[in-house]
Amino acid sequence: MTCEEFGRVLPELEGDHHNNIEQEKHLQTCSFCSGLVSDLNAISAQARLLAEDQEPSLRVWNSIALALRQEGLIRDPQVSARLLGSRLGGWKLAWLKPVTIALVVGAALLLELQRIPRGTPVAQQAATSVPVIGSADGLSQGSAIDADQVQLLNLVASRAPAMRAGYESDLRAVNAYIRDAETSVRNNPNDAIAQQYLMNAYEQRAMVYEMAMNRALP
Amino acid sequence: MRPEQSDLTDARKSQGDRLSEAEAIERAKQGDEEAFEALYHLHKRRVYSLCLRMTANTAAAEDLTQEAFLQLFRKIGTFRGESAFSTWLHRMAVNVVLMQLRKKGLPLVSLEETMETEEESPKKEPGAEDVRLAGSLNRLQLEQAIGDLPPGYRMVFLLHDVEGYEHNEIAEMVGCSIGNSKSQLHKARMKLRELLKTSRAEKANQP
Repeated sequence: MTCEEFGRVLPELEGDHHNNIEQEKHLQTCSFCSGLVSDLNAISAQARLLAEDQEPSLRVWNSIALALRQEGLIRDPQVSARLLGSRLGGWKLAWLKPVTIALVVGAALLLELQRIPRGTPVAQQAATSVPVIGSADGLSQGSAIDADQVQLLNLVASRAPAMRAGYESDLRAVNAYIRDAETSVRNNPNDAIAQQYLMNAYEQRAMVYEMAMNRALP
Repeated sequence: MRPEQSDLTDARKSQGDRLSEAEAIERAKQGDEEAFEALYHLHKRRVYSLCLRMTANTAAAEDLTQEAFLQLFRKIGTFRGESAFSTWLHRMAVNVVLMQLRKKGLPLVSLEETMETEEESPKKEPGAEDVRLAGSLNRLQLEQAIGDLPPGYRMVFLLHDVEGYEHNEIAEMVGCSIGNSKSQLHKARMKLRELLKTSRAEKANQP
């Protein structure tokens, strides 16, 4: 077997398994081809050892978490359940019955009170408290973006034009989330769960800002 | 496919301190953020390394890592445990990268194949010093050389030699014949050998 013939069958050979006697003989007598095979095997062996030591930036998980939240794959009620769980943890079961009755009566009273007109509704006050730029795509006002956010998006677009739409969508979603949470807190100022939702919403917005800034900066 | 040693080790390691992979999968199916995060941290390095090596671009690799995990989490409800979770995730990551490259119009199999057939035959260079790579090859040199490979060669080399896929799996994923996959892999190794030897020679000539 010549080197040329060996070269033609080489792509079919896997590692050190050369079953063909002719090929084995050639490798034993030809230092050039045996050196070549040895090098190719060394490359292949080293490739298997390549470490997975590269880590993605924090932005990646933040974006994933945000997307999962927007798509409803992460369920927030767990926060509520944890808070409720910790609150109820110390209570004896005997307290639950009268408390439940009191809550039901309280809710009925609240419903009655809501029938009485009392000037401007809280939800309307919330809507006017944040300066917003009209949403071009007809989304609700709660998801509209303000002037600072537009500036941030323009910065992102100047560095990575393709990313602008994604961040705009994230900002609209998080604005809507904040708007709902703020309304909820205004309606129930002493509700710890509503406050927790609002804190989560602010954290989400901070996260989007951070990611957008990372994109916008050189 | 070769077992994913590091993923399994990571997954087992986590059982002692935090959330086991199986627990995390079940809890993620219920929408538990902590579980999603645990799964992400278990597998992020492997997925990101794959994306980074395939694209040779940090921003693109991060976007692809994000997309791969999102696809995984969207489908996690359908995971029944017939295969290892890491195999499932990894295959998904590979598909995301390949799909992205197709969208960008990049060839998954090297176009240089028809032009460089002579590479399949070893060339003897009279008088040239035949310094063997075996025994002196290190990870950094190889990483750099892989980055310098033409994209089509790089893809098949990474899938076969780094990720451990078989030629029939690569042929299916990339959309080529098994013979083509073998030929591309051989050319990739030959090109790497050439790059590594050139790099070594350049270093030796430096004052």
